[in-house]
Amino acid sequence: MLPLSLLKTAQGHPMLVELKSGETYNGHLVNCDTWMNIHLREVICTSKDGDRFWRMPDCYIRGILLSIFGSQMSLAKSDIDVLHKVIDKVQEESKTRADRKPPGVGRGRGRGREEGGGARQVKGIGRGGDDAGGRGMGGGRGRGTSSGRTGSSRGGRGRG
Amino acid sequence: MSNGSGLESLVDQTISVITNDGRNIVGLLKGFDQATNIILDESHERVYSTKEGVQQLVLGLYIIRGDNVSIVGELDEELDSHLDMSKLRAHPLKPVIH
Repeated sequence: MLPLSLLKTAQGHPMLVELKSGETYNGHLVNCDTWMNIHLREVICTSKDGDRFWRMPDCYIRGILLSIFGSQMSLAKSDIDVLHKVIDKVQEESKTRADRKPPGVGRGRGRGREEGGGARQVKGIGRGGDDAGGRGMGGGRGRGTSSGRTGSSRGGRGRG
Repeated sequence: MSNGSGLESLVDQTISVITNDGRNIVGLLKGFDQATNIILDESHERVYSTKEGVQQLVLGLYIIRGDNVSIVGELDEELDSHLDMSKLRAHPLKPVIH
């Protein structure tokens, strides 16, 4: 059995992906190619030290950056749900404190509005950019088109 | 070598993989390719420490990207089963420096 065939078979399944940099991405594998570039959906990214989390609707990772794939989620489903709640809470808190915070600290994440459009694809790990500070909407600025691949009613969840 | 990395003879056997970041992963070799990408089934990681015994973390089915593989070794299961992991003490490996 070839590793790439197995990866292809794992499409649609939850998996854990570890980068060479140590970050881990938990999400559903949407697609992969012969370079091992992968497209994940509903992703939770965990920092190398394991104490910071980011959530993104979609991400695309270059194969060359990857080190390990696990079929098992590192956390049980129930843990993931708890994690989602914690992230929501933190996001709400950071939104309320957003005015006081210097740009970048709040990392500009937040729930996008339900704008009906496809969410913009979020690639990689956003660094809290200059526009991160007071804008609770983060990167999930729906563009109002239906061309976005996520094309869901979730609106844009992501980061700026 | 006609069959690339020569891991063919190890398929369905227990192997021990040392990764570039110094981790030791043990599991059943289910497949590999020309880039030494490796499929490991029923795998676990062995975490070494000088303070306490060897911890074994269950990982399950894993694919390790070839870039990240330093060493692949055959594991003698007979010998391995006689090891008392809780009494083993060892320094963790350092990562490979490029």
